[in-house]
Amino acid sequence: MSGIFVVAEHRKGVLRDITFEMLKKGRELAGASGESLTALVIGKNTGAFAERIAASADTVIAIDDPKLENFNGEIYQNILSAIIDEHKPLLIMIGHTAAGMDFAPGLAAAKNIAITTDCVDLKLDGQKLTAVRQLYSGKINAEISFKPAESYIVTLRSGIFPPEPSGTSGKLLSAACPDFPESAKRFIEYIEAATGTVDITQADVLVSVGQGIGDVKNIPMMEAFAQALGASLSCSRPVVDRKWLPQERQVGSSGKTVKPKVYLAVGISGAFQHLTAVKADIIIAVNKDPRAPIFNIADYGITGDLLQIIPKLQDAVLKLKGGN
Amino acid sequence: MDIIVCVKRVPDTNEADIQISGNFINTKGLPFDVNEWDKYAVEEAVRLKEKYGGTVTAITIGDSESDDALRRAFATGADAAVRVSDDIFNGSDAVASAKILAGAISDIKHDLVLFGAQASDDGYGATGQAAAAILGLPYASLVIKLEADNGKIRATRELEAGMNEVVELPLPALLTIQSGINEPRYISIMGIRKASSKEIKVLSAGEISVNTAEIGNNSGTKTEKLFLPPVLKQTEFLTGSVDEIAVKLAQILKDKGGTF
Amino acid sequence: MDFEFNNEQRDIQKAVREFAEAEMSREYMLELDRTSTYPADLLKKACDLGFLCIDIPEKYGGVGYGLTEKAIVFEELCRMGAGVGMSLGGSCFGLKVLLNSGTEEQKNRILPRACSGEGLPFSGAFTEPDKGTDIVTFPLGTTAVRKGGKYIINGTKTFITHADISKYVILLCQTDTNAKPSYKGQTTFILENPLDKPGYTVSSFEKMGWQTSHTTQISFSDFELPAENIVGKENQGFYNVMSFLTEFRIETAAAGVGMAQGVYEKAVNYAKTREAFGQKIGKFQSISHKIADMATKIETARLLLYKAAAIFDTKHDVPPHISSMAKWYGARMAVEVADDAMEIFGGHGYIIENDVARFYRDTRMLELVEGTREAQKNTIAASILGRLD
Repeated sequence: MSGIFVVAEHRKGVLRDITFEMLKKGRELAGASGESLTALVIGKNTGAFAERIAASADTVIAIDDPKLENFNGEIYQNILSAIIDEHKPLLIMIGHTAAGMDFAPGLAAAKNIAITTDCVDLKLDGQKLTAVRQLYSGKINAEISFKPAESYIVTLRSGIFPPEPSGTSGKLLSAACPDFPESAKRFIEYIEAATGTVDITQADVLVSVGQGIGDVKNIPMMEAFAQALGASLSCSRPVVDRKWLPQERQVGSSGKTVKPKVYLAVGISGAFQHLTAVKADIIIAVNKDPRAPIFNIADYGITGDLLQIIPKLQDAVLKLKGGN
Repeated sequence: MDIIVCVKRVPDTNEADIQISGNFINTKGLPFDVNEWDKYAVEEAVRLKEKYGGTVTAITIGDSESDDALRRAFATGADAAVRVSDDIFNGSDAVASAKILAGAISDIKHDLVLFGAQASDDGYGATGQAAAAILGLPYASLVIKLEADNGKIRATRELEAGMNEVVELPLPALLTIQSGINEPRYISIMGIRKASSKEIKVLSAGEISVNTAEIGNNSGTKTEKLFLPPVLKQTEFLTGSVDEIAVKLAQILKDKGGTF
Repeated sequence: MDFEFNNEQRDIQKAVREFAEAEMSREYMLELDRTSTYPADLLKKACDLGFLCIDIPEKYGGVGYGLTEKAIVFEELCRMGAGVGMSLGGSCFGLKVLLNSGTEEQKNRILPRACSGEGLPFSGAFTEPDKGTDIVTFPLGTTAVRKGGKYIINGTKTFITHADISKYVILLCQTDTNAKPSYKGQTTFILENPLDKPGYTVSSFEKMGWQTSHTTQISFSDFELPAENIVGKENQGFYNVMSFLTEFRIETAAAGVGMAQGVYEKAVNYAKTREAFGQKIGKFQSISHKIADMATKIETARLLLYKAAAIFDTKHDVPPHISSMAKWYGARMAVEVADDAMEIFGGHGYIIENDVARFYRDTRMLELVEGTREAQKNTIAASILGRLD
């Protein structure tokens, strides 16, 4: 009924950026609508998290229980269900992440609360909530309204709002962990990313290839081009799904975040999971489709047949290099 | 192992100039295909059946055009198919779709239910997990590897930044399948022939266990309007012949990138 | 009358298209073409998926569809592959002679091997050096003479596709040199692994296009063949071959439609992206009308193709003039569309890597195989005008 609740996200003892991104947006909504902003942190040894989060929320509710050592979506659903019953928040914000995506939809279904996911913007006008989300891999935006109700749930896309603290000194509340039935799902282990031979996160220049290169047979040509440019070769997810390049080369939310000086995207249409992981000074995109979302973030664009353009570009680069 | 796999027919907008008309996009002239994530899910279901025996049933929501998606599942190796179809389903959001699918799933014997992790059209990434809650099934989302053993499933979930998480679930369970988990097979002519003799069961809202007051236009959320995303950056497009473009771009790389 | 494919046919089209777009990339096609490599890997994959023996009955290892479905497959393979598609489809050349005229024993033994791909390519050896398409006027120079339980074969067959690698060859010989008319003395045989046998020599021609299939000449010198390798009745071979060719011309028409579609799509894409004189070249009427003409021609040829295939599937036969119309027009149209595409691309079309040139070369072959345009028109004219003695 009232209050904006943000479900903090942490993994392996680290608070994740999405927590502060949500708090930033939550603060903006709270300010505009006169709602209070509450952060919820659920886990084991959550005290330190709660203190950090207090700088961005009016209230922090920390649930600390040894049984919550590893993330389990079913248990999150049970705990949040009890908290919703107790506090009846107007809006519950959850990250559109591997964790948030895991428990938010089931929570909404179980509590019969309306949800929309992967939001890139939210507006709160009194009790009326409007969300903006993307369809068709970012080619279209949709404005979503909610049927009037006590509570709403949204999941927020990562990397949209800046993760800045708002400088509050929020009230710290520690709450008893509600009882929850034992989950049938058992955590086994985390598997860390394999360390590869090439570290694309350290490259100054990246030539990054997508599905648009058409064929695994074009990888050597792209490698040769990257070499001529003094760049490393990275890729988007479909290239890894097709086993054209190993996962260590993948740029994206499930792969690596890169911050080169120059990022040359070749045949990458630009799903948000990819775009969010590119923090380059200059982005250049070569793509057949002039409407590809990659052009929303590119400084320079070339529409055309990359298999024609790349060899010519390689020649031109070598010529310029020779002139030095 | 009796497996249910949910599939969706979606327009392919990859190279299309999408035209908006009201709350919908104009799909006239666009090719349609099975949602990419669902192809991985169907492939995984058929592989599990080939390994452990049992059956695969494909389910979709939609009008008769969605039979394409079910015939493809048959051709891949599914044994049965159900299409739930009713005008009152129109306007359903992710949770409402999950309620409809759960209504159909609950009437079919199952050890495992698979969903694609998301759909390429509306991209909620939520329907499978919502269905798990409605069905009361243990679940894992974003699965990129799975092994079945003795009534249990060991699933590897994809997290961020290359990290994975392994969880174990008892059967029956529900999984949402992430792309790259396998290499979906090509459809064979033999498969198409086999599919042609199989029947698609069509069920209306009255024939499944669903509360019609919570679906379709009674969904919790509603799409009010569609619009083109604002342009965040003014891209400078390089024009001219391929040779001219190459020379211009090489110069940009040299000047702005300072890369060589 | 229904001009739409049914669901199965649409599924077949989609399945083959998905395969072809993933497995027959431009780079791979150019590499096969450049190195004159027969697409053995693709053949195996296509056979495993039931593409090539789609129209062979299930009891012989095929899938039991008709010529319409075969044409759909062939069209899609040629759309991506041009000549490579023809190399795949042409790997079954002659197979239908065995299906239509062979004994149960021959069919049970050979057809499942062909359908699995193991027994492919098949070749059909009908043409002779000094006769070309005309196997009617004079007795054939390649003779088979019965000697006990064997036939002894001598002579030369030319323009034979794949004979340098084929596992089986359907051979047309003169068995009765005195027959009047001479074609009533011709017999078809099946050769099994002839490359391993004495008296069988194959040489290849260099040609202008269609590099992924070798075009060869076979010389027979006292080549021995068991009498049970006769296909059909003795002295009935001419009819076996004629009915086969009438049917296969429809497949060639499908190749024409597919190749034209493939190169047309390249041209459309180019017209939409290439800029000259400050605008997309597709805005120039000389280009846009060319594209309209190309599309119209392709659609016309496609209607003729599927009409011929539909007649064949309903009646198990097709009037020769219908098949000839589909073949010559499908091939001619493909040549014209490839020529238009070249014009739209300008100089870039002449550059190998843009892959218009390969379509240009490969389409031209379609007009020459299984009877030129002129030969087809003779067939059509004869059906209209009669003999006019």
